[in-house]
Amino acid sequence: MSELLLALSGVRKTYPPTVHSTQRFRAFLQILARGRSAGGSTVLQDIDFEVRRGESLALIGANGAGKSTLLKIITGVLAPSDGSVERHGSQAALLELGAGFDPEYTGLENLRLNAALLGLSRREVDEKLDDILAFADIGASIHEPVKHYSSGMVVRLGFAIVASVSPDLLITDEILAVGDESFQKKCIRWIENYLNRGGTLLMVSHNMYQVQKLCRHALWLDGGKPRAMGDVFDVTQSYLAWHERKDARESGHATAHAGAEGYSVQAMHIVSGQDGEPALDMGEDLTVRLSLRSPDGRAPVALVGIVRADGTPVYGVASDHDGVVLRQADDGDYVAEICFRDLPLLPGGYVLRGHAMDPEGLRLFDTVEVNFTVKGRSRELGLIRLRHDWRV
Amino acid sequence: MAVLSGNLFVDLLHRELRNRLVNAATGWLWLIVTPLLLLSVYGLVFGVIFQARVPAGLDMPFVAWLAVALWPWLAFSDGVLRGSLAIQQNAALISKVAVPRPLLTLSAQSAAFLLQMIGYLVVLVTLLALGVPLSLRSLPFVLLVLFSLYLFSVGLALLLSAVQVFVRDLEQLLPTLFMFWFFLTPILYAPEILPGDVGRWLLLNPMTWWMEEIRAGLFHGKWLPDLTLFALLAGSLFTVWIGYRVFERLSPHFEDFL
Repeated sequence: MSELLLALSGVRKTYPPTVHSTQRFRAFLQILARGRSAGGSTVLQDIDFEVRRGESLALIGANGAGKSTLLKIITGVLAPSDGSVERHGSQAALLELGAGFDPEYTGLENLRLNAALLGLSRREVDEKLDDILAFADIGASIHEPVKHYSSGMVVRLGFAIVASVSPDLLITDEILAVGDESFQKKCIRWIENYLNRGGTLLMVSHNMYQVQKLCRHALWLDGGKPRAMGDVFDVTQSYLAWHERKDARESGHATAHAGAEGYSVQAMHIVSGQDGEPALDMGEDLTVRLSLRSPDGRAPVALVGIVRADGTPVYGVASDHDGVVLRQADDGDYVAEICFRDLPLLPGGYVLRGHAMDPEGLRLFDTVEVNFTVKGRSRELGLIRLRHDWRV
Repeated sequence: MAVLSGNLFVDLLHRELRNRLVNAATGWLWLIVTPLLLLSVYGLVFGVIFQARVPAGLDMPFVAWLAVALWPWLAFSDGVLRGSLAIQQNAALISKVAVPRPLLTLSAQSAAFLLQMIGYLVVLVTLLALGVPLSLRSLPFVLLVLFSLYLFSVGLALLLSAVQVFVRDLEQLLPTLFMFWFFLTPILYAPEILPGDVGRWLLLNPMTWWMEEIRAGLFHGKWLPDLTLFALLAGSLFTVWIGYRVFERLSPHFEDFL
């Protein structure tokens, strides 16, 4: 086990009511007397995790999930209402655009103050000054007040200061998005270098590609509670799948014509070893067992399709396309199994759709959906893996 | 960690001083001109218009007698009042960066105190140049008294800056309270001129003791530390302790209320 840099246990954050001055005064007396105030709204709870050296962690989640509050608690800007935060080693944070900068002062003065906040002595700052200025690359503007800076220049300066410190744990919110293309690349290069040297990153990002590239673990926050924590690929994939399903629900794409008269799907399930929502590894075989019912003793046609969790169709095939006739089981239902070999679906959330059609294969009668997840450690893009080989 | 805080304190103090003397070139000039102007205004008002007299046994213009106590008061009250606003004024910094918060109050308070002390120095040098007899042998004693006054100001600033986050009305209330306190302290008058026992009541006001000690030093040549000085030092250290305790208790909750 490598060295522990950060440990949170049982962290909860409640914002007290502060609208009326009487509420503020009551809270003031409660804090003085008992060290805490009552009431308020809870924005974070049950947060437990640790970060060890070299094990970078990403915080992901929808807007308002509590990511920024959690970052503030981690950096010590905010004290948790309950639970404890343990910090070891040096820590530097790039939280918000221009955080800690005073707009009235010149870039150089802000640089000195921020470096002092990060624990550099004046002499160290003088030694590193040239490097910092070279990295920030904002030229003579360093002698201008920060209020005249563009947002990109502010980020450049902020990042350059943090880069000069090379902390044990680097904490960033989604701020690199502000710099221009070449500076973003410079930052990413620096971060990759930093990670290779054994640095540890704790980042908030909505860019899952970046998250998978830079972090080993991920914590998914939902409504102030941890929803999933673990390997970055597992967590980001279920997070993306959750988003796609949410989008699909909101845009009303879901097509469940349940309980139609006539031909119907009695059951459909994915044949797999485990309980719960089926999850497969990429490249495994996907076997689906179907059971259809017919009102008139004629064998219905089964249509099986796979769509991405947001509703994008991937593939669909009907039994009559392949000239297959469903077998009648003892209880009168028509059954079949279909196996997709060496599943080429890229990791993510998918929906399996089974339809019952009339024996002519013309009319759709019933739809049943089953969610499943494809797991894997792949950063390929798109829906499926096309067979390929590189020649150089 | 102590070294780190020292560095940071110097940087913050520097920032505060720059804040107060916006333009370095002329700012330092005002540092000398303002006390002199103030001194001549007081000289005009009390010496010429009110014709105020110094207590018996001293031979000097009233304004000299006044100024020796006035500047320490200004340093004290300016320090407390500006220090008490420090947390609220640095809200943007506090809610985004993990900064040792007592240092914010301390640097605002110290900068204010220091600037008034520079004014005091200018005033004392001017008085000496004008031939007012000040006891130079008492300087170390007076410096100790001023140091204890500084500590008292630190303690109150810490306490009030933390409370101010929760009780915003303090910002309006404090200047008036301090004005009241100013008149209840024998700065413009000597306690002896008050009728009956009123002068004795003034001893309940700690500032009376500081003012009396400073005058005893500079005018009457008191230079040996005595029980009073130790009491003042102990009292101000106690105030710092109380102020710091309350500050640390409230400080984790600042961000919620700012």
